[in-house]
Amino acid sequence: MATIAARGLGKSFGGKPAVTDLSFDVQPGSVTGFLGPNGAGKSTTMRLMLGLDNGAGHTTFDGRRFAELAHPMRHVGALLEAKPFHPTRKARSHLRMLAAANAIPRSRVDEVLTLVGLTEVAKAKPKGFSMGMGQRLGLAAALLGDPHTLILDEPANGLDPQGIQWMRLLLRSLAAEGRSIFVSSHLLSEMALMADHLVVIGKGRLIATGPVAEFVNSAQPSAVVVRTPDAAVLAGVLAAEGAQVEAGEPGVLMVRGLTADAVGDLAFEHRVRLHELSTRAATLEEAFLERTAGVEEFQASGVAAAVVSDGSGPTAGGSPS
Amino acid sequence: MRAAFAYEWVRIRTIRSTWWLTGLTLVVGVGISTLFAWAIHHDFSTTGVDPGEIDGLGAGVVTQLAASGQIPSVVCFILAILGIFAWGHEYRHGMIRASLTALNSRSALWVAKYVVVGLWVAVVAFVTMVLSGAVAVLFLHSYLSVFTAETWSVVGRQVAYGVLLAWLAMAFTSLTRSQAFALTSIFLWPLLIEHLVELFFLLVPGLRDNTEVLRFLPFQAANRMVDVLSEPDGTFGDPLSPLGGTIVFGGLALVLLVASYSLFQKRDA
Repeated sequence: MATIAARGLGKSFGGKPAVTDLSFDVQPGSVTGFLGPNGAGKSTTMRLMLGLDNGAGHTTFDGRRFAELAHPMRHVGALLEAKPFHPTRKARSHLRMLAAANAIPRSRVDEVLTLVGLTEVAKAKPKGFSMGMGQRLGLAAALLGDPHTLILDEPANGLDPQGIQWMRLLLRSLAAEGRSIFVSSHLLSEMALMADHLVVIGKGRLIATGPVAEFVNSAQPSAVVVRTPDAAVLAGVLAAEGAQVEAGEPGVLMVRGLTADAVGDLAFEHRVRLHELSTRAATLEEAFLERTAGVEEFQASGVAAAVVSDGSGPTAGGSPS
Repeated sequence: MRAAFAYEWVRIRTIRSTWWLTGLTLVVGVGISTLFAWAIHHDFSTTGVDPGEIDGLGAGVVTQLAASGQIPSVVCFILAILGIFAWGHEYRHGMIRASLTALNSRSALWVAKYVVVGLWVAVVAFVTMVLSGAVAVLFLHSYLSVFTAETWSVVGRQVAYGVLLAWLAMAFTSLTRSQAFALTSIFLWPLLIEHLVELFFLLVPGLRDNTEVLRFLPFQAANRMVDVLSEPDGTFGDPLSPLGGTIVFGGLALVLLVASYSLFQKRDA
């Protein structure tokens, strides 16, 4: 099984850098999520990895570049376009064409169609396919050569919740077989469930790489949520102990810098009644928004673009903080 | 390379446009020849045959009158659309990235496309002309021999013309990456633009004395490839010989092919 090693990837469009000196590794046996705001250079990076775009740097798959692979689909499966097929070429014919280029037996075409749930439309023209069906056909193409590496650009686009869950389970099972899965997605909650590792970029540059938990914890400390009728009193007590206290909705405090035990003890010592005392871990979305603040390519203006998660979490503006 | 040929062979056979263009070529080609042969038969049977009228007639019938040197081959122009689609579909439907992840050699994909389309065009053009000739034999066997050495020579040259035209159309589509633009251009160029150039040469005083250079207009030269009626004075005389026409038209195709290959290697997919 292959380790993907991207080194010094770089690409400019009209003098404007899209990807700059980007290096990272993707380990076999894991799903590695590829995150970044719109326009961060994710798709460009994936195209550079496969030699589809000409640019700086190189990517190897177990030490070999994509152009050096004989029958490349047997090594690397890729899904880069929303509907990467001719609208009137039947689904099975599309896969047969790709199979012919990689000496893949025809029987495998029917196998992958079954795997992605498109058997019933195998002889249909994809022009009538929904976005989700198109993604399934694209995924079938990526899986056609039973490759050790998958590079998938937004594969969950257009899938319904059942389809997203199906894809998550499929990618997890493929990773469990020892394959390297490199997948970009805007669905951060889905990525939190699916990915083991992350590569996060902003404006074409690497922001972070590592295990998901490490990324989440590094960005946003956990908070203690306290609900009390004496919020003003408790806030003063906690602040005096050095905690960061943020008022949420009336009677609710978000406390950072103290554990839930410490908050509970202080409340007891000062005879403050508590209705709720809980710990809320930071989410991937919060971590992502915090770490990519200021590196969005496209920023909203004129409207407060604040996003408040579950009504009490930290805010991240549409403009850089 | 073998993988690229396998890919292109499946590609060209699994797209509906290949079959309707092939069918259209056969119907239009054989249909025009049938009408032409029937009209000649009717004329000869009512007014008699003048031996001077049958010169080049066999070649004219099998080429749908392209051998007259006055009009381009309708069969080859229909088949050139296959060439336009060969690259046009790659860019119009975002297939190029799927193609280049299935085949990681750009050179192999490029060569396979031109070879497979060229072979398909050659076979269909040849079959159309043979069937057209067979129909002509049914109507005209009493008056002339359709499949003479001259006819077979013209059939060969028309096949070469068809392949060069398809390759030129492919190269143009690959360069512009626009199927619509290439489709429009490939028809406007011979049917309008070259005639406009001729008109300029006739109307503009400074150019009027140099109309002999018009024989080097690419599609004018291409018409000479299969022309059996004009009497050329040397390879590049006025008019051009079939060889001269092939060199001029083939030269343009070659220039566009080289540019197409070079840019295909450099451009992002």
